[in-house]
Amino acid sequence: MSEVPPRPEEAYARIRAEGGAGELHFSDVERQLRHFLTALWGRDVPMRALSAGGDAPEARRSGFDGGVIRLPDALPALAGQPAEALFRASLAHLAAHLIFSRRQLARGLKPLLMAVVGLVEDARVEHLAMRAFPGLRRLWLPFHVAEPSGALIAADLMERLSRALIDPGYEDANHWVAKGRALFFDGKDQWEDPDFSLRVGGLLAGDLGKMRVGLNHKTYLVEPAYRDDNGGLWEFDTPPQVPPDDHDLPLEAMRAEPSEGQEPDEFDGAARNDPAAASAPAGEADPEAGVPVARYPEWDYRIGLQRPGFARVVECPAPPSSPALIDGLLARDPGMVRRVARLVRAAKFSRPERLRRQAEGETLDLDACVEAAVERRLGHAPDPRVHAATRRRFRDLSVLVLLDVSQSTNDPVSDPAGGAPTTVLALERHATALLAAAMAEAGDRFAVHAFCSNGREEVRYQRVKDFGDPYDNAAKARLGGLRGRYSTRMGTALRHAGRQIAGQPTHRRLVLLITDGEPSDIDSGDRRYLIEDTRKAVGELAGAGVDVFCVRLGGTSAADARDPARIFGGRNVLTVERLERLPDMLPQLYFRLTA
Amino acid sequence: MELREYRIEREPYYRASGDEVALFEAAYASRMPVMLKGPTGCGKTRFIEHMAWRLGKPLITVACNEDMTAADLVGRHLLDAEGTVWHDGPLTRAVRHGAICYLDEIVEARQDATVIIHPLTDERRLLPIEKRNELVVAHPDFQLVIAYNPGYQSVVKDLKESTKQRFGALDFTYPPASVEAEIVAHEAGVEPTVARRLVQIGERSRNLRGRGLDEGASTRMLIHAGRLAARGVALEAACRMALVLPLTDDADVRDALSAAITACL
Ligand SMILES: Nc1ncnc2c1ncn2[C@@H]1O[C@H](COP(=O)(O)OP(=O)(O)OP(=O)(O)O)[C@@H](O)[C@H]1O
Ligand SMILES: [Mg+2]
Repeated sequence: MSEVPPRPEEAYARIRAEGGAGELHFSDVERQLRHFLTALWGRDVPMRALSAGGDAPEARRSGFDGGVIRLPDALPALAGQPAEALFRASLAHLAAHLIFSRRQLARGLKPLLMAVVGLVEDARVEHLAMRAFPGLRRLWLPFHVAEPSGALIAADLMERLSRALIDPGYEDANHWVAKGRALFFDGKDQWEDPDFSLRVGGLLAGDLGKMRVGLNHKTYLVEPAYRDDNGGLWEFDTPPQVPPDDHDLPLEAMRAEPSEGQEPDEFDGAARNDPAAASAPAGEADPEAGVPVARYPEWDYRIGLQRPGFARVVECPAPPSSPALIDGLLARDPGMVRRVARLVRAAKFSRPERLRRQAEGETLDLDACVEAAVERRLGHAPDPRVHAATRRRFRDLSVLVLLDVSQSTNDPVSDPAGGAPTTVLALERHATALLAAAMAEAGDRFAVHAFCSNGREEVRYQRVKDFGDPYDNAAKARLGGLRGRYSTRMGTALRHAGRQIAGQPTHRRLVLLITDGEPSDIDSGDRRYLIEDTRKAVGELAGAGVDVFCVRLGGTSAADARDPARIFGGRNVLTVERLERLPDMLPQLYFRLTA
Repeated sequence: MELREYRIEREPYYRASGDEVALFEAAYASRMPVMLKGPTGCGKTRFIEHMAWRLGKPLITVACNEDMTAADLVGRHLLDAEGTVWHDGPLTRAVRHGAICYLDEIVEARQDATVIIHPLTDERRLLPIEKRNELVVAHPDFQLVIAYNPGYQSVVKDLKESTKQRFGALDFTYPPASVEAEIVAHEAGVEPTVARRLVQIGERSRNLRGRGLDEGASTRMLIHAGRLAARGVALEAACRMALVLPLTDDADVRDALSAAITACL
């Protein structure tokens, strides 16, 4: 049986060890890379991150097996190029293989031969790709940094030949390098033939053998770093450890299994039929203890699978304070209340309706015209409002305002305008008070809920106001009584909120998440985990016809905005750094909803 | 003579990519209503201008929008010193005086607007003006042409079956690369090599249609980029201004598209 070339994860482990600066994660660039590939070749090839740690055996596969592209989960800046360029160069190279390479039987081939054939094949597919896209040369070239030297080491010579085959300006007096270059470019007309690499590579490998320069195939790595190990070029006797189409199957399989995920409906029903349960839980110890009502799956991006029934929602009562607190907030600036109310009123979400006696419009209001004519005959000034118009006026929208009431919302925010320092929670409360007053006045269907979390078994969910309830003093008192505690398991809270709003009989359904930042929880050390899960949850809600919009209070830096933009989509995040800006920002929100 | 200002004096440049000119001439000869289907900026408007010139008929173009009502097409009463006066809308003028009436993006208009064209587009060729109690018989030269972009509307905003079935249709897509390059070179005044690059870049963006972009770059956009290039702007910067930035606000898609454009140059 033939030797198998070193695994790409080892190669990338080496890159990582050498690099480190400017490191970028695959998932940060995944979307961009996917679009890049599609734009160039019109194909949507599945891509997977390859764990450099190599701890997941299913990830141990070469760059382009079975129509799946595998890229390292993280790459550093290299050769003066940003990590992004290294990702792009790697992907462009793999794509060239996918388009132009054909698998060869590896049986009986020596590692040296396979390595040299791979080298020629790399150059061949890159040149074919560059025929279509000449600019790719500028993407790949900077990574070719080999220089002429007197050393006669196979790996070194091969690196130099690789450069000689792509860099017209590279000069190397070595005989073997020069021969390789001549053979390659003289055969220009045969590049389309996949066996070209086998022929030219065969000759060159033979020469290397005669030169008695050894290749230590245990340590040999394809260079430069953007190139894969060419494992995908060869058909080995041993079958791959994992079937090539594993990337979708397990998900379906796991969904089909009976799981904890089935429980929520029972829980849910129980809690709903017995509202007392929510307000008076069995254990008297903690008046704010809640009842578990539902379980939701979580998305684990590291394994690319759902974890069924992984997080539990506990509904907790919202302890009231005094409604005067909220009324007092609004009384501070009645002008602001009016502005917000006007904006909310102005937004329209429904079919048009006919309006009569308008100053302008697309048709005449006949009755008004007759009256006006009569007035004129009588020598009076006629009423000029003689048109009829159609306008959208009904509001076919329900809104669930979901407040993040985690510990971090107690953080002070310094008012950039130099006003009195306040907390995120106070800002949230104030913004909600303004919106709620406006929506109540406009007769909108809305609810105000709040959440925080204390590990995955305790995602606490509080109802300040439900859809059916009036926005009365009791609701205001509950809004005023919200306190910031625990952490922010956003995805689960969103899934629960999504379920609450799903039944609303309106044209549009909106979950308006008001938060200070990103998801986090005590039992999740990996910051990305909850970010990815939240992103997934937003997608699930969208699939169920529920829009999720995130209003971020406090944070101002562009870097802070990156994760929210990833989670919700850049268009669905508004950053409001000061409350006074809320009226300016609201139209954007409504515009995006109606657009 | 009526509608003088709607006559097209000089030949509008149109590069045919199939037998659409002959087909349209045959349709006009029997006054068959025609619908031009195709994405934005692919030459529908240019085509109908060219055909109006070729047939020597005036062309009245109406861009429809979602606030557009039947009154905007047919006409309305206006008030003057003595009372109300009637004012013919663009459709009525075309019907009365014999023009080709081109309704662009007809699906955008409201239902009542699309329904009034029904009696005009069957054997009757009549336009009832309810508000005046008038029945206008179409002038023998009158023809109705509508344009619409099937990719871009949602399902709700499709034409009614009874409307669709009154029309013959011509399908417009972006022309084949070599033809499109010819058009870009002509309209933007750039060298054929530059035009071919631009078309190749256009194809990259069209690959992203429905996968990051709602719509790929139109011929019109490529011409825009070409015009910038003709004024000395570097091709990459020209594409950024004329294609990448207008097409999307999504940073990932922008980066991907820019990288794909760089790969083409
Ligand atoms: N076949 C063609 N011959 C000549 N010019 C063309 C052709 N196709 C496109 N063009 C050029 O592209 C530009 C845009 O085309 P046009 O305005 O006809 O698009 P359209 O299909 O009507 O778009 P929309 O649906 O947005 O109205 C034209 O101004 C013209 O310069
Ligand atoms: Mg390779």
